[in-house]
Amino acid sequence: MMKIPFISISIRRLAISLLLLLASASASAQFKFFSIQKDSIPFFRGFAVSFDMVGLAMMELSDYGQYEGALRINLHDEWFPIVELGYGKASHTDDPATHLEYKTSAPYFRVGIDKNLLKQKHGPYRLYAGLRYAFTSYKVDVVREPFKDPVWQWDTSFAIMGEQCSYHWLEIALGADATIWGPLHLGWSVRYKRRIAHKEGALDNTWYVPGFGVYGDTRLGGTFNVIIDI
Amino acid sequence: MSDKIKLKGLLYVIVILFTVHSSLFTISCSSIDCPIRNTVSVQYEIRDKSGAALSITDSLSVVTTRLDGKNIELDIATHLDGKDEILNKLIGRSSFSLPISNSHPEDILFFCFKNSEKTVVDTVWIKKDDIPHFESVDCAAAFFHELTDVRHTHNAIDSLVLVNRSVTYDENTVHFYLYPKTGN
Repeated sequence: MMKIPFISISIRRLAISLLLLLASASASAQFKFFSIQKDSIPFFRGFAVSFDMVGLAMMELSDYGQYEGALRINLHDEWFPIVELGYGKASHTDDPATHLEYKTSAPYFRVGIDKNLLKQKHGPYRLYAGLRYAFTSYKVDVVREPFKDPVWQWDTSFAIMGEQCSYHWLEIALGADATIWGPLHLGWSVRYKRRIAHKEGALDNTWYVPGFGVYGDTRLGGTFNVIIDI
Repeated sequence: MSDKIKLKGLLYVIVILFTVHSSLFTISCSSIDCPIRNTVSVQYEIRDKSGAALSITDSLSVVTTRLDGKNIELDIATHLDGKDEILNKLIGRSSFSLPISNSHPEDILFFCFKNSEKTVVDTVWIKKDDIPHFESVDCAAAFFHELTDVRHTHNAIDSLVLVNRSVTYDENTVHFYLYPKTGN
């Protein structure tokens, strides 16, 4: 089937437009963007841990997904350095059409920072824009049950075992969260992902990449986080 | 604009983005982004001694022996006037392609040149390494190949020169120049 590039182009344009919109402030506002508001609230506001429910649901409902948690530092309710750690897994067994099996599982991490874009920084709501660098190193097994060569009729075995791969990518994040009760927050984030370097050995393309998702489907991703201030 | 109103507006944006993303995810899940041409074949170009393309005047058929011992004629594919044609006998063409086995160290082919007077057969042995090729779980398993050696008898073929070793989906790469003997 043919590719549908106009959709990805449209989404890319939408994402870029939104980011430009968010970044479209005056020159003085740009200086403000990087400054810390001066008030009586202390600079260090503590840590928060969060768990992603979307990856968990994907793991339960499909043949790939990830378990992911994050640790975030709250600097004056404005800047939030963050480390995200996860374990991605795919187990696609005996595809009914192609009879291919694809297996991989590996940890991954992302590091980055979020900025609270709201003017009222210390309220119960937060709106974030952020950037992440992510990396994973993983091994892939692709196997197909033996099949007959269409011309010569010999049995053909197809197996790529333990192919060592690695992936570096960047994510632009746009998210929001709200205080539900005490230290508990719930939040969404939308991610625009861009691969920056990769090594996939004998495979031209790997299918599911731990933490990144299925390459080629879409560059957008998302999280739904349960967040606890600690 | 107050923060609350701004937040509300941006939450709408996020909801819209998620809706778009979900739609895209659904579309992409049902889309199969596989190569349109997923057959792997070896391209031959017939040349005269000066190196110019030569259309053969004898008919050419290519036979191989299957696992069960049966000799079969291979499909010969040609590309002319923007159209692909599958033939079992080639005549009046200067280029063609032949299938290659998925996973076998050596293919043995019998090139049969026939005119009104006689049939001349050459045996061609093509050695290769087979490389499993994976695009996606939605795309059929395929093999690419690295041609490592070729040898042949010299009844009608003067020489068969390996010019590109790598056999992939690329149908524009010529792998062999076939120089027929003159006077056959």
